[in-house]
Amino acid sequence: MHAIDRRGFIKALAAASTASILSIPGAHAAKTKARVVVVGGGYGGATAAKYLRLLDAGIDVTLIEREAVYTSCPLSNEVIAGDRNIKTLQVGYKGLQKRGVKVVRDEVTQIDPVKKTVATASGKSFGYDALVLSPGVDFNYDAVAGLSEALARTTLPHAWKAGPQTLILQQQLAAMPDGGTFIIAVPPGPFRCPPGPYERAAQVALHCKHHGKKKAKVLILDANDSFSKKPLFEQAWKELYGYGEGGMIEWVSGSNDGKVERVDAQSRTCYTGFGEHQGDVVNIIPPHHAGKIAKDLGLATFKDKWCEVKPASMESTKEKDIYVIGDACVGGELASNNAFPKSAHMAMSQAKVVAASLVAKFNALPAPQAIYTNTCYSVVAHDWGFSVVHLYRVRDGQWVYIKEGSGISPVTFGTPQKPEPVPRIYRKLEVEYADGWLRNVLADAFA
Amino acid sequence: MRKGVLAVALFWFSGAATAALDIEVLARTCNNCHGVSGVSVGQSMPSIGGLPREYLKTVMKQWKYDERGAATMNRIVKGFSDDEIDALAVYFSKKRWVPVPQGVGAKLLARGKGVISENCEDCHGLTGSDPDEDAPKINGQWAKYMQLELEKYRDDGFLMPHRKMKRTARKMNPADVPAAAHYYGAQRK
Repeated sequence: MHAIDRRGFIKALAAASTASILSIPGAHAAKTKARVVVVGGGYGGATAAKYLRLLDAGIDVTLIEREAVYTSCPLSNEVIAGDRNIKTLQVGYKGLQKRGVKVVRDEVTQIDPVKKTVATASGKSFGYDALVLSPGVDFNYDAVAGLSEALARTTLPHAWKAGPQTLILQQQLAAMPDGGTFIIAVPPGPFRCPPGPYERAAQVALHCKHHGKKKAKVLILDANDSFSKKPLFEQAWKELYGYGEGGMIEWVSGSNDGKVERVDAQSRTCYTGFGEHQGDVVNIIPPHHAGKIAKDLGLATFKDKWCEVKPASMESTKEKDIYVIGDACVGGELASNNAFPKSAHMAMSQAKVVAASLVAKFNALPAPQAIYTNTCYSVVAHDWGFSVVHLYRVRDGQWVYIKEGSGISPVTFGTPQKPEPVPRIYRKLEVEYADGWLRNVLADAFA
Repeated sequence: MRKGVLAVALFWFSGAATAALDIEVLARTCNNCHGVSGVSVGQSMPSIGGLPREYLKTVMKQWKYDERGAATMNRIVKGFSDDEIDALAVYFSKKRWVPVPQGVGAKLLARGKGVISENCEDCHGLTGSDPDEDAPKINGQWAKYMQLELEKYRDDGFLMPHRKMKRTARKMNPADVPAAAHYYGAQRK
């Protein structure tokens, strides 16, 4: 780094104590210090683009995204239940443009990690010094016989990427008669939004309870034997909707033949190893993996599905100067079964680490201390919500899960010997916080 | 000689820049819920930029050491060292307090003014912008958040530490709670 830039950087730091932003003043911004291309405009990609510009306006940032409007997956289960307008989850890219991010609406078709270029469907090419990949997930429809992308777009929506399918599922639920069965099929983990299927079950039950469908059933056919926030979900299901034998919600674990292997779209029948379940609405969440663009590049080295990255910087372990964030990557303390959850908050946290480490790199400063946090709310009724929080640090080049700063909302108060119910105000507060969280994350990433 | 001094100065500055970047990285984990520079855009989440350092530090430490109840924050802060909590309190206290004045009907505002002059003004001031040392600024704070905080103080099952605040919140008429919250939420200065 040139001395003049360093002085500019230090001046900016001094200014940062009064103003808030650690950016290089305009005089230096004129000279482009580095070019960063961000692929994917979800929570992760948008945050990376924004924070790069916030931290150093001398960095040229291009964001390539195929859609004009982003729809938040978090809280989209409330849309399915008919309790939230999908518009409250949607945001465009004007906020990022105001921050100087060049937003390109296009689809990335190829990445050349040697020439360091990105090619798009419309024939454009972008060179980069650093590439941030935040491609989200793509679905493996072949894993469930009888399922296809065409069916997911029409009669069997997964709605695991919020948007048109969310609304189809909403309509299917609204049209479901009393006594109908809503099937949710959960793929083997890890999958995007670990508590999502179980929150969806509660939201469907909530809809049925308030729309004269008290005899409806919500059947969760699960490929797994446990799930995120399980004691909290089971407690709420039981108290609010009835759970298990005779209740509205039923959960079938993987060990109990819960894994759906085949579906017949015509009769809406799900086939497990030994059984068959006919539903009025069938919501199969197909197994998924890192977005195609990352997978095609050979970055999905973890079980051929997820992209491995370096803990301090999120740089791919496979390709230099390519950083993979969001649902596509794998990280965290894998040995203790504390992987990074695939959540919006986590993706943003990773994006902020990438932004800070790239800014340090381009300014020849030592890499900053990486820290990763997650907060994820689940809303199971209008006045009942709960959350999980995660904290990870990097020590000796490895991710460390910080147990003290992690964990789910309390299931009970009192002692294990003498448990007492958690006062309802706690559950009510977390519903309110879920909404506050949504508005703030949307602004933090896109505004 | 001169060159040497410059090199040392650059080294020192570079160290300071690193520390500053570390704090930025730490503090920006708060932005997800509390907004960039601590200015929240979610009604249930408080703005924290520009709140007094002592208040921020005290509240975070009370959560960390289970002296104050919370639905979420008490879990989050337990992962932070006391030094990090101090650094975060300093960081956010140096931000500008940005009130987000919210519209409120004349009737509720008038009722709110009566409620706060009887219950809140002594410590929080007439507009909430010039409070006692241990109290937060609340002019233009989100009314929804303040209402939820008052509900915490009024609930038997919620551990809240401030005796005077607890006593006052509990003697308020239920309908006075939103009135007080909206009154302060509407204040610009």
